[in-house]
Amino acid sequence: MSLQILINGIATGSIYALIATGFALIFNVLKFSNFSHGATMTASAFIAYFAIAGKGLGLVPTLLIAAAAGALIALVGEFVGFRRILLNHSSATYFFVSSITLGTLYEGLVTIKAGSNFFNFPRFFSTPTISMGEQVISTSDVVMFCISMVSLLVLAFIIQKTRLGRAMRAISFDRDTAQLMGINSTRIIQLTFVISGALAGIAGVFLGIKYTLYPTLGSLVVKGFIASVIGGLGSLTGAVIGALLLGVVETVLLRLLGSGYSTIATFAIMLVFLLLRPQGIAGSNVQEKA
Amino acid sequence: MKKLIALFTTVVMVLSLVVCVGGTALADDGEILIGCLQDITGATSTLGSSVQAGAQAAVDEINANGGIDGKTLVMKTYDTKGDVTEAVNAFITAVTVDKVALIIGPPVANIANAIKETAEGYDVPVMGFAMDPACQLREDGTAYKNMFCFQPSATAQGAIMAAYALQNELKTFGILYNQENAYSVSLLAPFTDRLAEEDITIDDSLIVAYGAADTDYKTLLQPIVDAKVDAIYCPNYTQQLVAIETAAAELGYQGKIITGLDGAPNFNDLYGADCSNVYYINNINTDDPDTAEKAAAVEGQVSAVNKYFLGYDVVMIAKQCLETAGLDDPAALLDAIANVTDFEGLTGTITMDPETHMPGDMAMFMYTYDGTTPVMLGEFAG
Amino acid sequence: MSALVSNVLTQVFITLIAVAGVYVLTGLTGMFSLGQAAFMAIGAYASGLLVKNAHLPIPVAMVLAVLMAVAVGYLIGYPVVRLRRDYISLVTLGFGEAIAALLNRMTSLTGGASGLTGIPRTVGLGITAVSAVVAVALVASFKCSKYGRQCIALRGDPLAAQAMGINVTRVKMIAFLLSVALTAYSGCLYAFYMSYVDPSGFGWKKSADWVIMVFFGGVNSLTGSTIGAFVLSGLPQVLRGLQNYRYVIYAVLVLIILNFKPSGLLGEWELTPRNIKRLFARKKKPADKGEV
Repeated sequence: MSLQILINGIATGSIYALIATGFALIFNVLKFSNFSHGATMTASAFIAYFAIAGKGLGLVPTLLIAAAAGALIALVGEFVGFRRILLNHSSATYFFVSSITLGTLYEGLVTIKAGSNFFNFPRFFSTPTISMGEQVISTSDVVMFCISMVSLLVLAFIIQKTRLGRAMRAISFDRDTAQLMGINSTRIIQLTFVISGALAGIAGVFLGIKYTLYPTLGSLVVKGFIASVIGGLGSLTGAVIGALLLGVVETVLLRLLGSGYSTIATFAIMLVFLLLRPQGIAGSNVQEKA
Repeated sequence: MKKLIALFTTVVMVLSLVVCVGGTALADDGEILIGCLQDITGATSTLGSSVQAGAQAAVDEINANGGIDGKTLVMKTYDTKGDVTEAVNAFITAVTVDKVALIIGPPVANIANAIKETAEGYDVPVMGFAMDPACQLREDGTAYKNMFCFQPSATAQGAIMAAYALQNELKTFGILYNQENAYSVSLLAPFTDRLAEEDITIDDSLIVAYGAADTDYKTLLQPIVDAKVDAIYCPNYTQQLVAIETAAAELGYQGKIITGLDGAPNFNDLYGADCSNVYYINNINTDDPDTAEKAAAVEGQVSAVNKYFLGYDVVMIAKQCLETAGLDDPAALLDAIANVTDFEGLTGTITMDPETHMPGDMAMFMYTYDGTTPVMLGEFAG
Repeated sequence: MSALVSNVLTQVFITLIAVAGVYVLTGLTGMFSLGQAAFMAIGAYASGLLVKNAHLPIPVAMVLAVLMAVAVGYLIGYPVVRLRRDYISLVTLGFGEAIAALLNRMTSLTGGASGLTGIPRTVGLGITAVSAVVAVALVASFKCSKYGRQCIALRGDPLAAQAMGINVTRVKMIAFLLSVALTAYSGCLYAFYMSYVDPSGFGWKKSADWVIMVFFGGVNSLTGSTIGAFVLSGLPQVLRGLQNYRYVIYAVLVLIILNFKPSGLLGEWELTPRNIKRLFARKKKPADKGEV
């Protein structure tokens, strides 16, 4: 029984991880919490849904379309919402406000297109569950976990081993100096948004499979936010660990305390954690520059 | 200079606010304007849009047949966005600016609760579907003069579902309900009360609540599934039902799932797989040829077909009452609505109880699915 | 005045009081709260319950409710004022969710998801208008006071402020509690105006909306924040006929402001007698030039 709870927790955590990494990636480079990430997830999942609806396409094309759509949306969002703020060297608080507004915009557009309905992705798996002895794991959770891990590994590789990744890390460290060193910071930031958007698209499809697709699905971005803070803002490894931890803790508390009180307990644990270890799990303390 | 421009823009905006709020067209003499206060956007918009579509269909039909006393019926929709403050704004716009003759209300208890006090100040009936009796009745048991509900109360619906379960010799139950949703909560007690009459009690550990923040139905369902109950009672909106049914299937749950109106089509389309273990209550009889024809005509365009019929019926009732009472005497109109008797609607025969402003004993229909095809099981009364 | 206009204005004034609170928090002190609306819920529920169940006179109930919210605010404020900005958003966000969960769960007291009904309807346009004016005046005098200037100083650079001898956590706490009190008071007014409260309307989106209003009008200007609250909370009502398009228009408008006038509609400008004089003086200038 307890193993089953753990499995459920990890399944939930692996979605949170996908949300949290996209979220943490932007934080890493631009030092702000991108709340439009949630609506980007919703919008790209909807685009993928309408693109494949009735065509009987499988999961992989759906994910690819969603990732492409997410990348495009994030690219446009960067231009519309953040470019000028970036060039003006305005305070990070403007990013925060702009990202929330951008989220409202996407959500509004989705509502106009999709209307009031909610949608359910077609069944991608012929066998919905995999049984391992006593335990039951849903196929979508397994696939989701694998795809999450693969995309995170690819992301880790890009950041650690490629020129692009080095440039991203340089900009994260000090944007102006990086620019002076000949890095085209605008281009790199665009690429960061593209990657983050693609992750948002993938996460959106999985959220849609798990919870059905509806215009306010993006509010789950909050879970990614919590996870990335617990993990240590800006740290990708931390975000993944934080997400899995959050998923497991939530599930266990849900089982022990029931709904409602588990929300309160999660909050209390988070509060104590932040007071005891404000730098997060990964411990990379990002200093705000005055 | 910039500041001046900014100030100027602000002044223009504030002025436009006042102007726009102030001026909206009134219905002219040859028309009867009715309002349709629904959640067109927001969480419960699926229900709101369906009611609206049904009401509009009835309006079109009435006008095609010559209108009401030679006047054209015009329906204007007001979006509540599923938000109580918005609902009050929308209600006041409808009654004071547009001066509607009556309002087709929402199938959502919170919205009805929010406008019931405001509505007391006007003489405009709200013909809605909030099945929680508290939306129509004060705490002392007297009715709010303008608030009406045209579908069986939560008490009746919960009891009908329990009666069905008892008749089919289901003995052990689990319950999964949304504690943050008034509709879900209101259906809980009537069901357990009816079971208690037959000495069936449900263990507290098997009555599981969830909220919007919960994302893991499997963990919630686990204890119920482990207890190998005969049926899980699930008074939830369609969207959650899809996720719950998915989770239950993944957990290998073998028993039945009993749902409210929300298990009706298009639940089967959305779930997209065999849902033969789902049993739901419905207010329409699709074995009736007239209903079936109308249902087939709107299938695919309307997401909640039964809510469509609620909207359709209530406009037809409104027509009947407007014809009896006329437009000039609000008290007579309220009286006519409170005393609707034996109205043969598509959602059953409606007789209002003037004391409670809700229908009296009204039978409903239980359905299940064969694969994904709805099957009528019979008519049940609480 | 028509019922509709007075209804919209009442709601705008209620929002205005909350936004004045957010201005103290975000505008003056630079803290972001995504759980501010939860204090509105506390104010609304506490005052409503005190009147309905304990039969207290309404003003007494309101005072007690505000004090209760401030007490809760003190508990939450303890970690909040010690954490960095993103953590503040997170803690307040979690707090807001916890309050909503609690309100849903305590069914026997709060009515749960069905909401709290039967609160007497006593508040109208007059009281809310007066309250809003008082609230804005209170915040204005706070801004001009020693604490207000300390807030601005520590928003710019907490380290430097500390070095200058400002007790950063204390000043932050004072600002936080003032904003909590204002928001809770707006909740009291809301309860007695609507006569019905349900737990659904106090999520982080509402708090975020308030922050957007402050930024829209000008994060450094109380006048601007007030106008921002006025315009943005009234706008969706004006655009009622546009249904789904309302929020898109709202978002586009805010994005335009953020992009092209990042300091908000009014920037740093405040409505003070001196500034008004200056405004007219500047208007004259071109005329002067013309004479020369």
